[in-house]
Amino acid sequence: MNSREKILEKIKTNKPSLLELPKIDKDIFVDVNENQLSKFKKMIEAVGGNLLTLNSIDEIIPKLIELFPLAKNNYSHIIEASGFSTIDISEIKKPQELDDLDVLVLEGEIGIAENGAVWISEVNLIIRVLPIITTHLVLVLKESQIVATQHHAFEKIESSDFDYGIFISGPSKTADIEQSLVIGAQGALSLTILLI
Amino acid sequence: MNFKKTKNRITVGLFIPCYINQLYPQVGKATLEVLERLNVNVVYPSGQTCCGQPMANSGYESESIGACHNFIKNFKDFDYIVTPSGSCAYHVKKHYDIIDQTDEVIKVRENVIELCDFIINILKIKNVGAKFPFKVGVHKSCHGLRGLRLGSCSEIVGPSFSVIDDLLKEVEGTEIMELTRKDECCGFGGTFSVVEEAVSVKMGKDRIQDHLDNGVEVITASDTSCLMHLEGLINRNNQPLRVLHIAEILNKSIK
Amino acid sequence: MSHSKAAEIFNKNENKVNWHDKALWFVRHKRDNAVHQVLEWEKLRTLGSGIKAHMLSNLDNYLIQFEENAQKNGIQVHWAADGDEHNRIVHQILKDGNAKKVVKSKSMLTEECHLNPFLEAHDIEIIDTDLGEYIVQLAKEIPSHIVLPAIHKSKEEVDELFQEHLGTKPCGGDPKYLTNAARKHLRKKFIEADAAITGVNFAIAETGGFVVCTNEGNADMGAHLAPIHIACMGVEKLIPKQEHLGVYLRLLARSATGQPITTYSSHFKRKREGTQMHIVIVDNGRSEQLSRPDFRASLHCIRCGACMNTCPIYRRSGGHSYNATIPGPIGSILSPGIDLKKHSSLPFASTLCGSCSDVCPVKIDIHTQLYKWRQIITKETPQPKLKKASMKIMGDVFANPKKFERIGKIARWSLRNLPKSVINSKPNIWGRSRDLPKGEKESFDDWYIKKNKDEQ
Repeated sequence: MNSREKILEKIKTNKPSLLELPKIDKDIFVDVNENQLSKFKKMIEAVGGNLLTLNSIDEIIPKLIELFPLAKNNYSHIIEASGFSTIDISEIKKPQELDDLDVLVLEGEIGIAENGAVWISEVNLIIRVLPIITTHLVLVLKESQIVATQHHAFEKIESSDFDYGIFISGPSKTADIEQSLVIGAQGALSLTILLI
Repeated sequence: MNFKKTKNRITVGLFIPCYINQLYPQVGKATLEVLERLNVNVVYPSGQTCCGQPMANSGYESESIGACHNFIKNFKDFDYIVTPSGSCAYHVKKHYDIIDQTDEVIKVRENVIELCDFIINILKIKNVGAKFPFKVGVHKSCHGLRGLRLGSCSEIVGPSFSVIDDLLKEVEGTEIMELTRKDECCGFGGTFSVVEEAVSVKMGKDRIQDHLDNGVEVITASDTSCLMHLEGLINRNNQPLRVLHIAEILNKSIK
Repeated sequence: MSHSKAAEIFNKNENKVNWHDKALWFVRHKRDNAVHQVLEWEKLRTLGSGIKAHMLSNLDNYLIQFEENAQKNGIQVHWAADGDEHNRIVHQILKDGNAKKVVKSKSMLTEECHLNPFLEAHDIEIIDTDLGEYIVQLAKEIPSHIVLPAIHKSKEEVDELFQEHLGTKPCGGDPKYLTNAARKHLRKKFIEADAAITGVNFAIAETGGFVVCTNEGNADMGAHLAPIHIACMGVEKLIPKQEHLGVYLRLLARSATGQPITTYSSHFKRKREGTQMHIVIVDNGRSEQLSRPDFRASLHCIRCGACMNTCPIYRRSGGHSYNATIPGPIGSILSPGIDLKKHSSLPFASTLCGSCSDVCPVKIDIHTQLYKWRQIITKETPQPKLKKASMKIMGDVFANPKKFERIGKIARWSLRNLPKSVINSKPNIWGRSRDLPKGEKESFDDWYIKKNKDEQ
């Protein structure tokens, strides 16, 4: 018997009789009187991010230039922001080459009010390491994409088949040195949400 | 206040914990007197010893079986078994599953009840007619709090409540002082107080400091075990605090 | 060394104890603030507990389903019966891939298996990239907390450590400067890494995918750069469906640090083109714990550390005093299952206050399990003769009202009449720092009998 067989056999013998799987009723977790958009904005600030509102996607390039006047190496796959890109992503052979990326602008798919998290799946990440290796991260999100809780976010992605996806809430951070919060650990030093 | 009624007096069996019986008899006296003043017919069966906690919590459940049987023998005929100890009531309810679950045992486990719980929830009395014009700090003994749920604890999200606070709020002149850490353990823990002496003492010192920092004059609780530990430290270190069991405060009647 | 001995040593420096206690209480406080903002938090805990309990009752089938789906997705799945086998498997994968430089993100499982020393003995460089773990690695210590590995280190100590190993300038312990130095140094390691090892917070049977949660982004930085990604998990990390992540992602960070969610919650399903992805599934005593009805619920654990933050003993003795990979309350119910004798002091390092059980996001009845382990330990490990004898005597006295009365009288007399120097002498451990109560002349019993006589 190999280890797989041994382990499964032991578990089969030792497990208790089948217990029922509880059902999740996500409605009980939502306060119907709460404004989810305001909550989302509040949570973005709480997790160390910045939130700015745009009237339309056409405002994006001027806004990016305003926010990052000194940025040299930038990338965005968003068509309306392509003028901001300085990198041709198809030229990148290895993800390590992205080490000096300054600003990355991605399209978010879902925003969660309860924790300020934004879901991006591989199709919108292009290269997985991008949001981690960039110095500054900008996520573009529509107001209509905001849901109340994590449960609602999973409901939305229930039927999508992604190779990889990530929830990002705020810039990278750590409090490992005497519980002092430091923004900017390994990942991005800042996170800006551009809300449309 | 006159609670005397001729009909419908509740009869209870009074359980006095071993260390109250031997070392703090005044707590037992106060408990008896408070209950009688509230028109309860109190029966104190003789031949009581101990609920069995000291052995059981030390890992020697099997050595406590004699004490368990003695407890059942004394209290099997009562509808209410009142005790001025949250930890003893909790122990009987939770850990008496080690003896044969006869009808008697099941009944006793259901009917044992802590003193404040009994006054508030069975007698439905909040004002016992006491007067105690001092700044009081309530130590929320763990077994009563998280074991018997005699009050809400800071860990759980839910409505606030506390049977001991409900009673104290009605005591004339008493000011309940708010603590910085509302329900942290005092560090007694039975044999823990000796086996882990350093941490036990530090926990007790920290609790006492919290009370001192918040202007408390008298520390009270529903468990004498906690109070014995805190008082032991207070006396050794000559700190300006009095320690009284809740029964003793409730017994300071308005004459 | 027993916990009590280690705790005694820790308590010799009262300032350090106060500092450590306050730091962890602050985390508990942040947790309280966070959970009070969640509508129906207690129902969420009940779900967290119920889903794990169900999962354990069907664990073998879920593991098979998980493996099948993961393999369909192109992930290689390995099984390790124990820590040694886990280390050998990981080493083989690295060897086959010619990997000499490895970066690792937080994984308590790899700590449990002692992976680092194993790989280092085989000439593989392995760098812990979680800042707390990195600090502890440089200091050649083990983590003292499962979420905040370096909580026992002051910023001045980190400052000195970084001066020695990273060549930083003295900075008075400035966390920003030190974190930035670590960022630069570790970025190089990430770029050069041949392989990345991560833990697994949750593995999903339904999809064959798994989730890794970090605040720093180090797990992602490693996994998305290196050509080999090895994810190590205990069998109990499984959850049935993707939708259940809603429950656990909402419970985890709030319980651990008081954040609504970790910065990064990374969902891995398929590998990047041209790379390898491996999952190593580890038993190492978990199937044994599953067989124990009293202790099975400890396998619900999602490694949040909330129990440690709330434990008044943990805060005042430090993680190292437990001498176990996982310390604190959860460690005290897991470790005896692995080595009863070595960890026999742990279940006694508690007052059974129950705070841990009430903060546990998956409702493990920790304080009840501590009580139950005590019963087993006194029976199955050698106990001091004096303790055994005194418990027997106590049991006998408390079963017999007449004996109880007699002993009580002697005790009260002694307290009343013996000089303090005798009472508080060396064998009386209580008396070191505390006074004993006065010995009253009458017990309650005596008083009651007298009162009744008078009233007749």
